[in-house]
Amino acid sequence: MNKDSFLKQFDNLPEHFAIQAEARAALHNGLNFPTTKNERWKYTRVNTIIDATYAQNQMELSDIDSFKIHKDWKYLTFINGMFSEQWSDQVPDGVEFSSLSNISDSDKGTVLSKMGTLFNLKQDAFPSLNMAYFLDGAYIKVKRNARIETSIVILNISLGESQAINARNLIHVEQGAEVKFVHQFEGQGNAGAFTNSVCEIFVDDNAKADYYLIEDEGSETSAITNTNVSQKKDSRFTIVTVTKSGKLIRNNIHLSITEPGCESNMMGVYFTDGNQHVDNQTYADHQDHGCNSNELYKGVMADRSTGVFNGKIMVHKAAQQTNAFQSNQNILLSDKATINTKPELEIYADDVKCSHGCTIGQLDEEAMFYLQSRGLGKEAAHRLLVQAFAQDVIDTIDLVELKEDVEEFIDSKFS
Amino acid sequence: MSEYLTIKNLRASIEGNKILKGINLEVKPGEVHAIMGPNGSGKSTLSSVLAGRDDYEVEADEVTFLGKDLLEMEPEERSREGLFLAFQYPVEIPGVSNINFLKAAINAKRHHHGLDDISAKDFMTMVKEKQAMVELKSNLANRSVNEGFSGGEKKRNEIFQMAMLEPKLGILDETDSGLDIDALKIVSNGVNKLRSEDRSFIVITHYQRLLEYIVPDYVHVLFEGRIVKSGGKELALELEEKGYDWIKEEVEA
Ligand SMILES: Nc1ncnc2c1ncn2[C@@H]1O[C@H](COP(=O)(O)OP(=O)(O)OP(=O)(O)O)[C@@H](O)[C@H]1O
Ligand SMILES: [Mg+2]
Repeated sequence: MNKDSFLKQFDNLPEHFAIQAEARAALHNGLNFPTTKNERWKYTRVNTIIDATYAQNQMELSDIDSFKIHKDWKYLTFINGMFSEQWSDQVPDGVEFSSLSNISDSDKGTVLSKMGTLFNLKQDAFPSLNMAYFLDGAYIKVKRNARIETSIVILNISLGESQAINARNLIHVEQGAEVKFVHQFEGQGNAGAFTNSVCEIFVDDNAKADYYLIEDEGSETSAITNTNVSQKKDSRFTIVTVTKSGKLIRNNIHLSITEPGCESNMMGVYFTDGNQHVDNQTYADHQDHGCNSNELYKGVMADRSTGVFNGKIMVHKAAQQTNAFQSNQNILLSDKATINTKPELEIYADDVKCSHGCTIGQLDEEAMFYLQSRGLGKEAAHRLLVQAFAQDVIDTIDLVELKEDVEEFIDSKFS
Repeated sequence: MSEYLTIKNLRASIEGNKILKGINLEVKPGEVHAIMGPNGSGKSTLSSVLAGRDDYEVEADEVTFLGKDLLEMEPEERSREGLFLAFQYPVEIPGVSNINFLKAAINAKRHHHGLDDISAKDFMTMVKEKQAMVELKSNLANRSVNEGFSGGEKKRNEIFQMAMLEPKLGILDETDSGLDIDALKIVSNGVNKLRSEDRSFIVITHYQRLLEYIVPDYVHVLFEGRIVKSGGKELALELEEKGYDWIKEEVEA
């Protein structure tokens, strides 16, 4: 891995915040990108990402509708990492938005007091890389007790070959507010591109936030997403990750459950083929008592694709009456596909209910034959069984249009 | 074309074990053939081979269904051509709705015959009618395929599906086992309503009781992979009375 020539490609990019300079310095000095010697990166090699050459394409979008899952949602569109006013909507009442490159002085203080606080920038190279070189991003505040009826979409579009993007977003859901976000990654003509995303989400007391991460940048691109969340008292946070495409995908999710009475859900589905590699790393950090976390990831893997799932549940001493459940289930459609799945529990409290499980199997041949014997073709039978397998994750998507979109995606993927 | 199904010297084995050792059978339109025989004699194997399960090495001089080479067809083609197997052990398929899957199955068959999708209205009418016919509780039709169904409900669901798919040849593999007396009557009535000049049945059973309701034209005894005796419906009575020992003696003699 040639870190220096990799970083050099970005060093002339502008800085908006002083902390960016610190991050650049850290990267140039001791901070290195992870190798497979690092336990959490054992099965995911980032060499191909670091050793590639990248571009900053200046490109215009001609049409946005093809990317939209539902046109009535409110879109905040970023093209190659930069906010695009032209392709964005006004945010609804109760929501404040500002792009990080153009932030008002009054918001700057708030942003700075939160930005980077959920990461260990001395250790984690990719979040640091993002901090060092991000050009723009969304700062979104959902105001106290606001109930936002329409979904807010952060749409990141990667345009042109070898585009490198450090997408950065900071979301603050204030006390008692309710909101649903879709964070959608799309691409066009972007073979060789790399997206490194950081999203920091603060969910205050009694707030409810859903966050749907939809990854579809294309089969020739790589992405690392880092979603770190801090939950306060009696809040609810749900993340559903849907990986539709990508050559190398690594999703890091870290939930800091800092106060009592929280509910946290981490769901995910991945459908891989070809030489795809999809790695989901989750961390549920139970710091206080009486919280429930629920986790279900399902994968359907074909060809020579490889997958990784590593789910950590940490229950601190103060986190009595924790309920934490985790499950990762996989169907391998080919005998060349592989999955490395590993639950990790670290429990220091004594009054807790934790369970975890993982399964790796094939499509049920008896069920296939049954469906075929009723006249369904192989593909249709396949599709029904995959759909059925993924359904309980898809059912956790509390947005009809998105749910249908994912179902249609499965339909077309398996036909 | 006089025969719906012609089987000549059908043999099937699995991992070198010969299970079917030369079956001959002809089924004409409208006929009901009962197949009886001791456990393990090969009845389910015969129905699986006919439906197209690919676990077996299959050889035959001829197996034709409606004039076409059955063994050449994929399971789904066999179904679309009009073959239906009511399974001895219907599979549970969590997450796949009975109704959606049946609709897909009906449409697959319609496309095969050059027809368009069935209309939502016609489909629902048909569901109601056929459900009533086998007295299948309406909530079962909406649930996942066989998931959590009782043994009897699974069997009713098989006949319900058969009624929906309107096959030319229905193979019922021990549909009566697991049914209580009332359910047996209901299911038999359902099958009888489906009987017609252009629909045939192969009814596999251990009990002559079923054959009092679904009166067969022929009864065959399958023993160690061969049909060793055929007769009219009285043969079933005789078997009920005397068991299989006399057949074994006849075969061995
Ligand atoms: N997949 C298999 N592997 C090995 N042996 C098999 C397999 N399937 C069937 N057999 C054997 O073939 C023989 C016939 O089985 P089959 O299920 O056809 O019997 P059957 O006549 O339907 O019996 P029953 O009345 O108990 O339903 C049995 O000895 C069975 O063990
Ligand atoms: Mg049997």
